[in-house]
Amino acid sequence: MKLEGSHDISAPRQKVWEAFLDPEVLRQALPGCERLEAMGDDEYKATMKIGVAAVKGTFDGKVKLSDKTPPESYRMTVEGSGGPGFVRGSALISLSDIESGTRVSYSADVQVGGLIAGVGQRMLGGVTKMMADKFFGKMGELLHTAA
Amino acid sequence: MKPASFEYVRPGSLDEALDVLHERGDDAKVLAGGQSLVPMMNFRLARPAVLVDLNGLGDLAYIRPANGGLALGAMTRQRTIEKSAVVRERAPLLAEATPLIGHVPIRTRGTIGGSLVHADPAAEYPVVMVALDAEFTLARKGGTRRVAAADFFDTYLSTTIGPDEILTEIRMPSVAPRAAVAFVEISRRHGDFALVAAGTVVDVDGGGRIAEARIALGGVGPRPVRARTAERMLVGQRPTAALLAEAAASVMPDTDPPEDIHASAEYRREMSAVFTRRALTAALAKLGVQL
Repeated sequence: MKLEGSHDISAPRQKVWEAFLDPEVLRQALPGCERLEAMGDDEYKATMKIGVAAVKGTFDGKVKLSDKTPPESYRMTVEGSGGPGFVRGSALISLSDIESGTRVSYSADVQVGGLIAGVGQRMLGGVTKMMADKFFGKMGELLHTAA
Repeated sequence: MKPASFEYVRPGSLDEALDVLHERGDDAKVLAGGQSLVPMMNFRLARPAVLVDLNGLGDLAYIRPANGGLALGAMTRQRTIEKSAVVRERAPLLAEATPLIGHVPIRTRGTIGGSLVHADPAAEYPVVMVALDAEFTLARKGGTRRVAAADFFDTYLSTTIGPDEILTEIRMPSVAPRAAVAFVEISRRHGDFALVAAGTVVDVDGGGRIAEARIALGGVGPRPVRARTAERMLVGQRPTAALLAEAAASVMPDTDPPEDIHASAEYRREMSAVFTRRALTAALAKLGVQL
């Protein structure tokens, strides 16, 4: 599943760059993230409780950041599995200056498998997009309060 | 396919059910007709610790005229609604949408309240409620509140109902006696969830101008969409094919459709215009207006 989009955040690019690489900020912004621990260089262990209505599951996984070109772009690779299935994906995140602050664009390729993909297929795309929106919305909010 | 183990409670009264939810709401799930919840439990996607079965609450199943409109108990079966003469007379859009839900065995068990609280973005009833500005009564231990349909649906399978609340009644306001309705949808097979669904109410005054237009769409975003721009374009105008095409095209920016193996987002967006036009045309035809 391909996922593309962009969000505008009213903060300077350097600030946005730092926030997007700050595990504590990420933990607060990732929907359902209960734990995000550094495992080494740009690698994190995460526990996320993700769900919609009665369909809920706890996912354990790894997040890895690579190809960093500050303050322009980086790649985020995610791998996780839990009761309802597994998620694997890679996203290229790019930052650019706009008049009101910074535009964060993402282009991701996500694979979801297991139960949730088979049975929840009809809503998977929409829910994934909704979670991405939630994440970027929260990042904008956190950056706004910090500024 | 067997569900994960759960505790089963079958309350004999609404108060008893609300007591259970008051204490264990976060771990509990309410069972109405079970046509979505039970398969989800059998697939183990949903694993509630407690299942609160409302099927013992016979007094939550009724259809009554109220203030020119209609009041329905949340446990009223869809099949009962489908066969009801008073529903056809007072809430024709509800009557027209009902046969499109699943299949007869599903409607025989499925309830109106269950469908609304489940809030599938492609389900028929949420579209009807948003089109008609229906109002819901939510009960919790020690009180009730009323919520407009527009404020009830939140996102995919999510509503603003609290974990300790039960939807008890649906109120449909009266519609102009002359108004005509149409509910149309496109799905891969009959009984499947709609790719796009459109419900409309149209009234034409004595001078041949559109006096009222209501348009709601399903399947095109996380919750039902009310096409206000299109409604405003229609009211006060004489219905023509060009006007309908223009109004129908205006719904597309209001949609945010998902993409899956059944249809692309572009296709769904395109169909939201096509089915708006078809629904309006069908409703106008019932008023004797041929375009």
